[in-house]
Amino acid sequence: MSGAGRPAAIVRQRGKKGIEIALRRELILAGVLLPALLLVGAFAEESQEPLGGLLGDESDGSRAHSTHLIPLYAENEDGEQGEQVTPEAELVLPFSTKWTCGECHSYDLIKQGWHFNAVDSNVPPGRYGEPWVYFDAKLGIQVPLSYRAWPGTHQPAAFGMTEFRFTQIFGRHMPGGGPGEVTATDVDDIGRQYVAGKLEINCLTCHNGHYGQDQGGVSGYAVQVSRQNFRWAAAASCEFASVKGSASAMTDTYDPFMPMGDDKEPQVVYREGTFDADGSVLFDIVRETPNQRCYYCHSDVYYAEKDGPTEKWSCDEDIHLTAGLKCVDCHRNGVGHNIIRGYTQESDLSGSSLAATTCEGCHLPEGSDVPEAGRLGAPVPEHVGLPPVHFERLTCTACHSGPWPGEGAVLTKTSRAHRLGTPNVNKAEAVLPHILSPVFAQEAGTVAGSGDTALVQRSGKIAPHKLIWPAYWATLVDGKVTPIKLDVVETTVKKVFEDLESPGDGSWPQMAEERLAEALKSLGEAVGEKAAYVAGGTLYHLGDAAEVVEEADHPAGAPYMWPLAHGVRPAAQSLGVRYCTDCHSTKSPFFFGAVGVDSPVASAAGGAKEQVEFQGISRFYAWAFSASFVFRPWFKIFALGSSAILGVVLLLYGLRALGGVARVLAEKE
Amino acid sequence: MFQTVAIAIFLVTLAGIGVHWIVFPARSERRGGVCMVAGIVHVFSLLLIEQKQSLLGALKKLCYLVASICFVVLAITGFYPLLVRGEHISGYLMMIHATFAPVFAICLAILAITWAGGYRFETSDCPWLWRFLRRVTALRIPSSEGPCRCSLVVQKVMFWAIVALSLPLILSIVLSMLLLFGTHWQETLLAAHRWTAVAFAVAVLIHTYMAIRIRMACEA
Repeated sequence: MSGAGRPAAIVRQRGKKGIEIALRRELILAGVLLPALLLVGAFAEESQEPLGGLLGDESDGSRAHSTHLIPLYAENEDGEQGEQVTPEAELVLPFSTKWTCGECHSYDLIKQGWHFNAVDSNVPPGRYGEPWVYFDAKLGIQVPLSYRAWPGTHQPAAFGMTEFRFTQIFGRHMPGGGPGEVTATDVDDIGRQYVAGKLEINCLTCHNGHYGQDQGGVSGYAVQVSRQNFRWAAAASCEFASVKGSASAMTDTYDPFMPMGDDKEPQVVYREGTFDADGSVLFDIVRETPNQRCYYCHSDVYYAEKDGPTEKWSCDEDIHLTAGLKCVDCHRNGVGHNIIRGYTQESDLSGSSLAATTCEGCHLPEGSDVPEAGRLGAPVPEHVGLPPVHFERLTCTACHSGPWPGEGAVLTKTSRAHRLGTPNVNKAEAVLPHILSPVFAQEAGTVAGSGDTALVQRSGKIAPHKLIWPAYWATLVDGKVTPIKLDVVETTVKKVFEDLESPGDGSWPQMAEERLAEALKSLGEAVGEKAAYVAGGTLYHLGDAAEVVEEADHPAGAPYMWPLAHGVRPAAQSLGVRYCTDCHSTKSPFFFGAVGVDSPVASAAGGAKEQVEFQGISRFYAWAFSASFVFRPWFKIFALGSSAILGVVLLLYGLRALGGVARVLAEKE
Repeated sequence: MFQTVAIAIFLVTLAGIGVHWIVFPARSERRGGVCMVAGIVHVFSLLLIEQKQSLLGALKKLCYLVASICFVVLAITGFYPLLVRGEHISGYLMMIHATFAPVFAICLAILAITWAGGYRFETSDCPWLWRFLRRVTALRIPSSEGPCRCSLVVQKVMFWAIVALSLPLILSIVLSMLLLFGTHWQETLLAAHRWTAVAFAVAVLIHTYMAIRIRMACEA
């Protein structure tokens, strides 16, 4: 490069050695410049499509809702933006939110948000959250799954579950994106994904303000996902389109862009009057997600009430909602959709100033020059008579959230685990998966960092949790428990349990020990290694004499717990509001309530632990401390009485001393 | 801050007692550390000595012994977590602390009643002070001409300091148990309890030291 511009005479003068040096110098220069140029190029490429630079990415400050009268775009067969959707088109395709909403909102930025980034291993998992629960009563499986590295959950891949299959099972309660958009690599899934499409982020799941948004109806979003109609799911959910047919019924060779006119093939129909003269469609888009949209995925049912716990009129809402707040008043997000989860350490992890919308953030703000107390109308609590040590040992939610603790943790249903709000849900109380709450346990923690640098931080505080006992089949090699893939279990164990009677309430069938031994034997033969079964915290495997060996409290069977934060009860219904003995009594549910040990193994049925076993303190200590509260009134009486006597003695002799001084002063007179 | 200041206060107190012990040795046939240990053993074994006193005397001794034991237990359980481990009292220590506290309070009340008369200040306690006051104020303050019984005076001052400090010490914790005060005041009361406990402990240490010295002086 440099030599080329120099006079040839000079190059000649250098001779052969000189040329070599010049060439070497040029190589070094090129080695330095080339990466620099590539780097600049990369930046230039990125700057062509800046994240967050589209029309709808930045607000102009108006709090009014923007009218969304916009054209619809479909995705073409190459996964790119296709033609505008019009009712007159020869092939009427479902609109793609990626290309329709993505016209004005940076889709690539949005998909980094919390609801969509589970599959990104670089995202710190943060506080333990609700897992996706895969269960099969007949096979004795109930396992918490998550793409986030929360200890105690399993990666779906560990059970041989691909992203495509995961999406088909759990996509019903996902707003799309995440695993739904991962390009299939499994041989079986590649063809299916072309037929089904990818499950894009369905913006309407949260932002459609129209009452016709159908997430869980008979032909709504959830049903479309279960039919592998991923490409059609968003359109099916909205108020102006309906979808029929099923991608799962089509062969791998089916081309959705060249329909055959078969009744079974998925097809979308836009309702009459959907498009205006310009071919645009009016969306009822709201920036602040209505509570009902959140509830679709975030409803809980606690079987604490004896009469009709599923009836909404029989249980109260979170006090914040009753007071008029919306979910998104606290769980906020910007265009990046990194919604605030609302736990204390979150601001350290995310660096977001918005993360201050925790309990303390509104109720007990401090350290700011600007008065922040009472934010959003939050009352500042007095906590009269409550020793401050409680704030070191308990989270706010321990006293204020979840159902009032009864004799034991109760069966709890969640939208995502029990597919609430979707068609044909088994409404029985005992239906799987078995989630228990409230479990007052030492906070599981927060996972900071990601990948190899992930670090679990524990506050040591006691918080109410939901709990699930994992149950799965595994191999046991050198003490290491490794889950066995579901398809292997299905083909092997299913035969053993074929005639096992399943209860009508959707709970576990009773697994006798002989049957368990038989299953372990056949599974061991199938995988060529020692098979094991994990359930109710116990590891079962076959001993030398083919007898079932039990290892209780095995780490592989430890329950997975995640903190519950809602529904928040009003202050007057918080734990301890009546007296200390709400918790500090020898029979208090807080310490001594039962937490059922859930297992399909017949010999383990009905087992239970006490709450205190999850709190990192000894049972005797909890009992003794609670028992001491019997004497607390006497303590006060004796202490106050003694103080009175001491005060009187002081007063008496003080007065005598004063009398002496007065006498001396009087003598002078 | 409390941890640092409290440790400093205790170190200064103990150092002061040590220096005082060296500079002004007690008049006794036995000397040095042996003498000090004997004094402490004496204080803590009053009850075990054959009783020649009245029922009230025995009660006073019993109270003093129980109060001394309670004080040691309360001081260890209260200050160990705070000063050594740098954390709040909790767990079994808390339970022990709370168990001995009311007993200590009762003993203090009894001792205050039974000992208060004996710990009245008299003109013979510190003649130079009365002479000084008489000279400064020109009042007819009665005074005696005997030597100053400094140990006794200090012991009396400490006694009344103990009685006076025991009030905020007890009330700060009892009031926090009543449904009266919110978090801010709870923290204030807890801080008051800690600081008062430090002052109280210093007063008890000095009082005990003086009691030992006086006892040794009597023996001599």
